[in-house]
Amino acid sequence: MTKRLRPAVLLASLTLFAALSPPLAATELSIPPIQYHQRILPNGLQVISVEDHASPNVAVQMWYHVGSKDDPEGRSGFAHLFEHLMFKSTKHMHAEQMDRLTEDVGGANNASTGDDVTNYFEIVPSNYLQTLLWAEAERLSNLNVDEPNFKSERAVVEEEYRQSVLANPYGKLFNAIDPYSYTVHPYKRPTIGSIEDLEAASLQNVIDFHNTFYRPDNATLIVAGDFDPKQLDAWVDQYFGWIPKPATPIPQVTAQEPVRKKNLSYTVTSATAPLPAVAITWLIPPAADSADIVPLQVAAALLSQGDSSRLYQSLVYRHQIAQQVGVDADGRAGPGLFTAYAILASGHQPAEAEKLLHEEIIWLATQPIPAAELDKVKTQLLTEELRQRQTAQGIAFALGQASLIDGGAEHVNTDLAALQKVTEADVHRVLQKYVTGAHSVTIDYLPQAAGKGAAK
Amino acid sequence: MSRTMISHHMPALRLAVFTAVMLATGGALATPAAADAGYGFPTVPPAPGPAPKLSVPTPFAQILPNGLQVISVLRAGMPLVTAQLVLRSGGEMDPPQLAGLADLTANLLTKGAVGKTAPQIAAAAETLGGSLTAAAGWDESAVGITVTTPKLPQALGLLAEVVRQPDFSADELKRAQAQAVDDLHLMLSRPTALASLAASRGVFGDGAYGHSRSGTPTSIARISRADVQQLHARLYRPDNAILILTGDITPAQAQQLAQTSFGDWQKPSAPLPQRPVGTTASRMPALLLIDQHGAGQAGVVAAHAAPPRNSADYYVGTVANAVLGGSYSARLNEEIRIKRGLSYGANSRLQALGDAGMWLASAQTKNPSAPQVVDLMLGEFKRLGGSKVDAQELAARKATLIGGYGRSLETTAGLAEEVGELAVYGVKLGEIGKYIEQVQAVTPKQIQAYAHRHLDADGSKVVVVGDAAQFGDAIRKRHPQAVLMESTALDLDSPDLQPVVGSGTTR
Repeated sequence: MTKRLRPAVLLASLTLFAALSPPLAATELSIPPIQYHQRILPNGLQVISVEDHASPNVAVQMWYHVGSKDDPEGRSGFAHLFEHLMFKSTKHMHAEQMDRLTEDVGGANNASTGDDVTNYFEIVPSNYLQTLLWAEAERLSNLNVDEPNFKSERAVVEEEYRQSVLANPYGKLFNAIDPYSYTVHPYKRPTIGSIEDLEAASLQNVIDFHNTFYRPDNATLIVAGDFDPKQLDAWVDQYFGWIPKPATPIPQVTAQEPVRKKNLSYTVTSATAPLPAVAITWLIPPAADSADIVPLQVAAALLSQGDSSRLYQSLVYRHQIAQQVGVDADGRAGPGLFTAYAILASGHQPAEAEKLLHEEIIWLATQPIPAAELDKVKTQLLTEELRQRQTAQGIAFALGQASLIDGGAEHVNTDLAALQKVTEADVHRVLQKYVTGAHSVTIDYLPQAAGKGAAK
Repeated sequence: MSRTMISHHMPALRLAVFTAVMLATGGALATPAAADAGYGFPTVPPAPGPAPKLSVPTPFAQILPNGLQVISVLRAGMPLVTAQLVLRSGGEMDPPQLAGLADLTANLLTKGAVGKTAPQIAAAAETLGGSLTAAAGWDESAVGITVTTPKLPQALGLLAEVVRQPDFSADELKRAQAQAVDDLHLMLSRPTALASLAASRGVFGDGAYGHSRSGTPTSIARISRADVQQLHARLYRPDNAILILTGDITPAQAQQLAQTSFGDWQKPSAPLPQRPVGTTASRMPALLLIDQHGAGQAGVVAAHAAPPRNSADYYVGTVANAVLGGSYSARLNEEIRIKRGLSYGANSRLQALGDAGMWLASAQTKNPSAPQVVDLMLGEFKRLGGSKVDAQELAARKATLIGGYGRSLETTAGLAEEVGELAVYGVKLGEIGKYIEQVQAVTPKQIQAYAHRHLDADGSKVVVVGDAAQFGDAIRKRHPQAVLMESTALDLDSPDLQPVVGSGTTR
């Protein structure tokens, strides 16, 4: 990528912040640290808890250190399919009994699967804490899915694939990002998998996967909200303490994603997308490398958070070539991605967006960043964090992310302190190292021709 | 976009409103007794302890001399405040042929005011840590921001500028129109979104709630600067507005801040415009199939007319919807997803508006399954009137409603939304603490009577959008009255979706 001077018109965005009166320093916004308690049971189960009586609810979350990167060979999408099956029968619970213990008593539950982790989360009136601890211990130790439930839930997951990939006009683009961005690492398999691989999965795969990954030394229990800490510890010991730790080691992904040697481009087409789009990715270090990841998050916010961000101002507002833009510093347990994308405005093509995306990123990586603009994104990110921490569930999610992906529970507090200290030099350094000085993968997304428009 | 986290199920649409105490339905669980030999691990779930109390914060309301209603709700704990300026008018005020005017007007508020350009306003709001979002709903338009407490006075100053003195420059209008048209093309490429729009036409006809609130590509293009200015002059006035402040703020602070930012906002002498009639008779077929060639799934929706928000039936409808499709465990999802694996999620919602309302059930399914999903959906509407809801099922769905309501009050933004809805429909703010008793009072008999009154099969409007080659014949075999249209031939500005002149292909 060649560095080039940027047209004078682009300078306008800088005056947006240079002209503001001296900003209120973002550092005046102090977020009180989350006071969490952490312990590890003899069988290896990690337990993190935060007592908070702001509401009469308690969040119970089980995070397993297993994700789509651990899908068995030829079974892409399996970790996610498995997650669905955890809501089916166990030795002592019938199918959907988790819903009876949550929704039916005024709570809620859900679960999600990512590249690195699978989390199961409930929020219930706090008098149901004991019940839910029992239920989570039960499905960790006693899963017992039958064939009819397996098949009907697999059909649900196939509908989820159709809904998120096929029926979503940009689903095929976002689903193509990982397969094209990684060459070796199992992150290259999309979390949702493929219909073919889902169809190949068997009940025996389910049993094997549970035995391999669903074990106390591969899990983190997080409890936040209205509870008594002593009582919590006693219940956790009672329901989880007996579960044996298997003697076998937990399989670990050891694949090393090689440094990219050149820029690569791909094209994906869609029968239903009304407008073209483009996504560009670069490899970034694991999320635990907070010295680099936090400045990359600041760079992503400078580029795309809010209507005053640089890419919105350039591509959407001034040049009007894009309808939507976004940048994400997607930190993972392994190598992550710095991703920039644009959905184009009518009459414009991916090449126009690519040119401006690159120009803006190079400019950010090399030119002075007004102090007011840097303070703006810190205030945005801190305010966002405060909003998340209003609920017990939000606090528990922040701890899960910190503990399983960002390098340890302490990151829930230290990464915010690191955010406050990010400088212009930090942003320049990480962008030059991982983005402008490295190689990109570009995916053009094109509507198929043939006059298949939407309703007028 | 961000890392791919794929969920077990989509969060259910949040339903109606209000609560006070969490319920203990201890009867749903067995008592702990038996234990597995060897480990002492119980074989039945432990029973719950005594139910905890939820304290619902009390809204505080006052009216400034210019007619502006100011409502604040104190929820300390986090140094955050949500500020919302809500107008009691929205998309229902769009003039004929100008669908989307109210929404476009709201959107343009933040695109220039009092000498500040759109980029400058965005920069000012984002420097305060929030962002100014503005949109029109039905019966309301709102501009809001969430910031930390120290930034609130500046945020309110900005809010007042964009609401009271927007520029509506020609350049910004042109830009907003181009963006709105692209947004519409995106939205209409989603099968369920298009099906829902078509079903609204079926329920409301040419009434005020029948058109597309975000407009159509043709109506958006027709809107002029004068149209926007006139709508703003008619509707954006203090006696048609509510300022809502929730979070770390006392009533006295709210009063003082409201006075500073909005106290000198003049009330015009002209009377407030009347709200138009919400519903007129529809000429839409009872079952409409829309061919969206190449669609990856079919979007199936079934709709019915519903009573307005202020009807005596409101809570009965709310609980009936909770039974039908208000949550993961409700009947539609149970029958369509859990039992048969036909969809990632099926649900329903009850939209109770100022002058009318709508029930809307929806699910996306693979194209060949659309006929089965249509019949399952219609069957579930019918079952609500056909037999009484079982007591245990009813208790469970009420608990889901009440729990969800309590959680919605845990954030400043959630509080603002709940209070705003009460205020817009003129419901006493004290209702916020009566939700639980209102929901608990609903009986199986009332639900059945409600279903007979409002959910009769003759009144249903069904729309299926998808790759019709894969389901059209099968549906028409069972429902000969079904009408098929091409998505490219629809005219969303027309009450029956047929182009007024031209080449619509109806077969």
